[in-house]
Amino acid sequence: MLGYIWQYVYTSFLRYWVKWFIRQATGKCELQRICSGYKPGATRATKAEYSLQSSKNQVLRQALKTNKDNLEQRVDQIMQEKNIKPQKDPLFKESLTVCLLQITGYSSLYVSVEDLRKEVFSSDNPEHEAMLLKLWDLLMPTVKLESRITKQWGDIGFQGDDPKTDFRGMGMLGLINLVFFSENYTEEARQVLSHANHPKLGYSYAIVGINLTEMAYSLLKSGALKPHFYNTVLGTPELQHFHQLYCYLAYEFDKFWLSEEPESIMQFNQYREKFHNNIKAHLQDPDVSLILTVRTKA
Amino acid sequence: MGLLTILKKMKQKEREMRLLMLGLDNAGKTTILKKFNGEDVSTISPTLGFNIKTLEHKGFKLNIWDVGGQKSLRSYWRNYFESTDGLVWVVDSADRLRLEDCRQELSALLLEERLAGATLLVFANKQDLPGALSKEAIREALALDDIKSHHWCIIGCSAVTGENLLAGVDWLLDDIAARIFTAD
Repeated sequence: MLGYIWQYVYTSFLRYWVKWFIRQATGKCELQRICSGYKPGATRATKAEYSLQSSKNQVLRQALKTNKDNLEQRVDQIMQEKNIKPQKDPLFKESLTVCLLQITGYSSLYVSVEDLRKEVFSSDNPEHEAMLLKLWDLLMPTVKLESRITKQWGDIGFQGDDPKTDFRGMGMLGLINLVFFSENYTEEARQVLSHANHPKLGYSYAIVGINLTEMAYSLLKSGALKPHFYNTVLGTPELQHFHQLYCYLAYEFDKFWLSEEPESIMQFNQYREKFHNNIKAHLQDPDVSLILTVRTKA
Repeated sequence: MGLLTILKKMKQKEREMRLLMLGLDNAGKTTILKKFNGEDVSTISPTLGFNIKTLEHKGFKLNIWDVGGQKSLRSYWRNYFESTDGLVWVVDSADRLRLEDCRQELSALLLEERLAGATLLVFANKQDLPGALSKEAIREALALDDIKSHHWCIIGCSAVTGENLLAGVDWLLDDIAARIFTAD
């Protein structure tokens, strides 16, 4: 209770005066102190985001909602508003620009991801169909798919004879993630698939993948992935960075599942939750970077 | 009868029911569960293993088990039969190709001894889809009229819109309650 009162008093009253006092003493505004005091990454961007969000100044708050094209103009406006001279603080402009690219980019990444998720897999769409067949070829290079509707889909972990019903709530996002992993980390994807086909510790490769897409999506939506993207992308995060994160989850989940040795696939949700909590714990670390590192071939 | 009476009395006190929801993959089991519980149903992915939800409805505590329907998981269904009061069989009414598969799985379930006392509710789901068969057509395709071993009822519904979910669950609860809480 006391904590809440303190927080209220601090954010609505004290914070302003503390900032004013430090500004008089150092001659730098809060944003400048953040930009010069921290190295590029999650701590800097998160602090800048908080500073802009809680600013009483309209120009600063609006900057969080700007798009990429107006960004430079917004930075100039902020510098004008805060009376920051480029001659005195030559690095400020670039630092703030990177922060804003990261912050606004996170929101626009969510919009792009959401669009893909809402795109329903359709057998009438030749692009969708081609992508599905590509997934098969990447994972099963030596086995020919006998027909489009076949039990063989079970070999890469779909539920039935036609994978289209498995994409469900994740739509094309689920398929694109599966293909991205198989295409960019072919060896790792095949290795994960072979683990998934283990007679005892096996699991359904494709639908576990779709479940992990859901995990990545919900982490993105809740804002939990901010520190990861702020640390790993010094600019606007793009769709490919989201797919990369999926690859990390797919690879790491496989390792996790094998090490836990669950009794059967029926325990999936329990282990999924445990894995989810591990990831969320990683994301509490300001230096987090969830990057799939594979041994480079000599 | 002694043990059974005690069990009945215990249940009466708790007013707790165990419902088991089964059906082929993509029938909509998880969507029904989430919709009934008032959750978002737009981001569901295929169920691996099972989901369980406990919720209060009409003064009863319902434990609803939603078990994945893909072929490789069906052999695990039997692990969830014990002390089931109500069986909810979910059918994708638009999936004409697998209706026969659906009929066979259901009739096999109804032979299970541990489900012998359970009330059966059939949800003819996805009535919102243009190609969906009516509940009468599903009733015929699944040969429900041949069932003599269980109390049963079929209800056309849509998990996406929520239509008739309540009607189905209410019927199920009334039937179970009439059997286990009042018959003494």
